[in-house]
Amino acid sequence: MLATVLSATLRGLEGRPVRVEVDVAPGLPGFTIVGLADAALRESRERVRGALRNAGFVHPPRRITVNLAPADVPKAGSALDLGIAIAILVGSEQVHPQGRWALLGELGLGGEVRPVPGLLPMIAALARRGAGRVVVPADALDEARLVPGIIALPAASLGQAAELVRGRRVRGHGPMSRAELIPEEAESVPGSTPVDESWPDLADVRGQAEARRALEIAVAGGHALLMIGAPGSGKTLLARTIPSLLPPLDAAEAQEATVIASVAGDGPVRRLVTRRPFRAPHHTASYAALVGGGPRLAPGEVTRAHHGVLFLDELPEFDRAAREALRQPLEEGRIAIARVGGAVEMPARFQLVAAMNPCPCGWAGDPSGRCTCPLGLPDRYAARVSGPFRDRLDLWIGVPRVAPQALLAPEDGEASVLVAARVAAVRVRQLEARGRLAGRLSGRALRAACLLDTAAERTAIGLADAAGLTARATERLLRVARTIADLDNAERVQVHHLEEAARYRVPAMPSLSARGG
Amino acid sequence: MLGVGRDGARGEWRVAEVPTARGDGPAFEPEPPAARPAGLMKPGASRAPTSGLARPAGSPSLDEADAWAALVAVDGIGPVTLGAALAAGGSGRAVLEMAAGPGGPARLADAVAARGGRLDIALARAIADAAQQAPALAARVRGLGITVVTIESTAYPERLRLLDLPPPVLFLRGDPSALHASRSVAVVGTRRASERGRRIAGAIGGALASAGALVVSGLAVGIDGAAHAAAVASGGRTVAVLGSGHERLYPRAHAHLADEIVAGGGAIVSELAPDVGPLPGTFPRRNRVISGLADASVIVEAGERSGALITASWTLEQGRECFVVPGPIDVPQSVGCNRMLRLYPGQARAVPGVAELLEDLGLMATDGPPRVDARSLRAGRTVGPDPEAILAGRGTVEAAVARALLPRAATLQELVDETGHAPATILAILTRLENDGLVVAALGRYAVGGSLAATTPTGRRTHLGHGSVVREAGG
Repeated sequence: MLATVLSATLRGLEGRPVRVEVDVAPGLPGFTIVGLADAALRESRERVRGALRNAGFVHPPRRITVNLAPADVPKAGSALDLGIAIAILVGSEQVHPQGRWALLGELGLGGEVRPVPGLLPMIAALARRGAGRVVVPADALDEARLVPGIIALPAASLGQAAELVRGRRVRGHGPMSRAELIPEEAESVPGSTPVDESWPDLADVRGQAEARRALEIAVAGGHALLMIGAPGSGKTLLARTIPSLLPPLDAAEAQEATVIASVAGDGPVRRLVTRRPFRAPHHTASYAALVGGGPRLAPGEVTRAHHGVLFLDELPEFDRAAREALRQPLEEGRIAIARVGGAVEMPARFQLVAAMNPCPCGWAGDPSGRCTCPLGLPDRYAARVSGPFRDRLDLWIGVPRVAPQALLAPEDGEASVLVAARVAAVRVRQLEARGRLAGRLSGRALRAACLLDTAAERTAIGLADAAGLTARATERLLRVARTIADLDNAERVQVHHLEEAARYRVPAMPSLSARGG
Repeated sequence: MLGVGRDGARGEWRVAEVPTARGDGPAFEPEPPAARPAGLMKPGASRAPTSGLARPAGSPSLDEADAWAALVAVDGIGPVTLGAALAAGGSGRAVLEMAAGPGGPARLADAVAARGGRLDIALARAIADAAQQAPALAARVRGLGITVVTIESTAYPERLRLLDLPPPVLFLRGDPSALHASRSVAVVGTRRASERGRRIAGAIGGALASAGALVVSGLAVGIDGAAHAAAVASGGRTVAVLGSGHERLYPRAHAHLADEIVAGGGAIVSELAPDVGPLPGTFPRRNRVISGLADASVIVEAGERSGALITASWTLEQGRECFVVPGPIDVPQSVGCNRMLRLYPGQARAVPGVAELLEDLGLMATDGPPRVDARSLRAGRTVGPDPEAILAGRGTVEAAVARALLPRAATLQELVDETGHAPATILAILTRLENDGLVVAALGRYAVGGSLAATTPTGRRTHLGHGSVVREAGG
C-alpha cells in the first residue's frame, strides 16, 4: 500500500521539506528511489535494508518504490533515511501511524538513529510548512529544540521512532511542554557573552602598541588587516584576541551563526551560538574548503566565519585561486557557489585578518640579521599578495618581535573589555551616521563621509603624492582615517587622523628599506 | 667579457696589446686642449663636447661621442676591441661609416687585422648594424637626458683615466663636474646590510659629504643606498655607478633616490649602453669603476662573498687607499671586512670611528665637521650635523620622538614607553617626520633617516638584536 511521511533536505543553508512516498506493491522484490537523489541518498537503500532487519522488522520481499517529492528539488544527504524506513514500515503495514509525522535522521545498520548536519534549518523548514511534530535523532535533541513552533521528539533507534509513530510514549521522553521548547533567551542578550578562558584577552599581549592600535581600528571600522612579522612575534595571538573585541552577536546574528554551525556538521549544536566565530583555516585548505561547495554543498570557511573573524595565517602560501575567490565575500558579504540547477548563495560577512612572514624564512628585516633568503626573494614573496588582496587590505602593519624584557614585564596591557567598549561605540556611531562600517565605504559614500577641510585635504594630497598612492590606495587611506576620526569622536577627518592612517599603508619591504642610513 | 673573478677579469684586461689611455695609441690619446671647443663643459651641460671633428654629411646629429656610444653598445665590444677598431678607422664615425658600406664588415675586419688587431667578422657585422641604429640610439640617449662622456673629453674623470684600460665611454645623468671633485671617497658594502651597518654607512656618507668630499657608491640596496641617501641629505654631492644601463636602472626601488642624487648636483654613471640589463657579470665591472672614481674606498659591511670585497681588491690594485670598518666576529655581515683586515695588513686600514676616518683622509682641516680628538669622543660629543639644529623649529612632541630615535631604532611601543605620548599621536608624528625624510620605517621599526642619520653622536648605543646593547665608541 502507499505510505507518506514528511522529511526534509538541505540546499545550502536552507532546509526544504520533502514528502517521502513509499509504495509497497506485489511483484518481483526490489527497492527503487526516484526523485533527484544524490549518491549518499541512493546508498540509503542499503542502510534502510540493514536497519529494518537488525531492528527486528521485516524488509518486505516486494517491489518497493520510494518517491521523493517535489521531484525537481535535488535531494542530498542521509537525513531522509529515517523517513524512508518508517514509510516502508507503514506501507508494509508493520506500523500503524497515529496522525501525520515528520522524521529526520540517518540510520545505522543496527537501527541506530544518528544526527545529521543541518538539522536546525531543516526543522525550521518543516515548522514553516506547518508540521506539528518531528522525530529527531536523540543526540541532536538540544539542537532540534532551538526551533520554536514545532515539537521535537527524540528517537535513539528505529524501534523508538516506530513506537513514537504508533503514538506510544518512549521511556523517559514524553512530549515536551511549550515552555521547554523555547530556547534560553539569556544568552542572546548583548553584553553577556560568556567569558571563555581558552580565548586570549588583549591584556595577555605584551608590548605591541602599534598592533594593538591597528587591531582596534580594524575591528571598530570593519577593516581588513594584514600583519607582517617574524615567526613568534605574536601575530596569531593578536588575531585570536579579536573575538573579545567584537560586540556579541545580536539575536538575528546568533540565529544565522547557529544555522551555519548546524549545517557545517561538526556534530549537533548544543545551544544558540552567541560567540563570534573565529576561523583559521590552514593555508593548505582547498578551494572548496575555503569558499564552500563539495558534493554535500557544505559551507566553506568564509561562511563559517560569518559575523566573526576569518584569520588567514601565512597568506602568501594560500592557493592563488582560493585567495581570488575571497574577492566576492569581501565586497558583498556573501558567496555564490555555482551548481547544476542554479547557484547557491551563502552569507559570508567576516572580519578578515591575515598574517604573513616578511619572507619565506621569516626573518627579513629583523635586526638580528638572521634572514637567510636570497636577496630580492622577500620582495617577490610579498608580491604574491597582489590583486584583490592588496586593494582590500585596509591596514598593513609590521609586527616586530617583542624584546624579552617586555615579555617579562609585570604589568598587563589594556584589557579587551575596555577596547571593546570603544569599538562598540564607534560601530554604533558609524552605523547610525552612514548605515555601514567605514571599512565598507567606497566611492561617493566615502567622499561624503570624509569631507576634508583645506588643511586636511592638503595633507591627504601630500600623503598620496609622496607615497605614489593609486586611487584605490587613497580610498584605503580615507576609510582608515574615517575610523580613526570616529575613535577620536571627531565629526570631521583631520590632519592627524590622515597622518596616522598613512602609517598603515602597504609598507616598503625590508630589503628595499636600504635608505635607513 | 669581464669575469666575476677579479684575477680572471684582470687577466683578460691584460691580454690587451692595443693602445691604452696611458699608452700612446692614437685612439685613446686625449686631445690637445687647444683642439677642444671652448665653453662646452659648463656644469650641467646636457651634451658632452664633440671631439672637434667635422660632422659627416648626411648625419648631422651624429657626432663623435654618439659614434662611440653606438660602438660600445655593440654586444661584445669592450675597450680592447674598440681601441683596435678606432686605431684602424681613425675615428668612431669613420669606423661606423666603414662598416656600413657594401662589404663594409669585411673591409673593417681587414683594416683592423692590418694594424695587428683582431676583429671577428660577426662583430664587424654587428658594428654595421650599430651604424644603422646609431642615430636612433643618439636620440634615445638625448631623450633620457644622458650625457655621453668619452675618454677623449675633458669631462672624463681624470681618476678613471689612470686605470689600465679605462672605460672608453661613460653614460652620465646629472652634472659631469661632480666627477671632478677634489676629494672623492667610495662608500660601499653588502646589500644585506644590518641596521647597524646602514647607520654607519649613513654616518660616514653624511660626514664625508659635509666635509666636501664626493661620495661614490653603487646605488645598491643596503650600505650603498644608505651612503648615497645620507650624502644627499647632508647637502653634499654623490655619484652612483650603475651595474646596468640607465633605462634598466637597478634596483628599481632606488629610482627615486637616483632622482634625488641628480637633483642634489650629483650624477648617475654607467659604462653600459642604456638598454643593458643588470647581469651577474656587470656588477664586478661596475665595482672597478666605483673604486676608480674615488681616491679611497671605505668598506662598511661585507659578508664572506660580498661584491664589496671586489671593490676593495680593485681599490688596492688601483693603488688607492682602502678603509675597512671592522665588525663583531660573530656577525655574517662583518666576516668579509674582518678578513680583509687580516689578509691585507698595512694596505686595508681599519676605521675606528668616523672622526678618525676623516682625519686619515685629510678631510678634517676643511670647513667640514668640527675636529674631534680622542677626549671629546670619549665625552660623547658629536661630529657631523647637530641633530638639535635639524630639529629646531619642530614641535616639542615631534622633536621628542625624533630624539628618542637618535640612539637606536625603536618600535612604537618603545617610543610610547620613552616619550609617554599616546600611540595615535606618535604614529601621526612619525608620518610627518617620514615625509620630511627624517625617519624611515620598516615593518614596525622606526629609525632616523636622512640628515638625522648623518648626525653621529659618538658613544651612541646601538641595538644588535634584542637585549644586547653595545657601546659603539667611547665606551
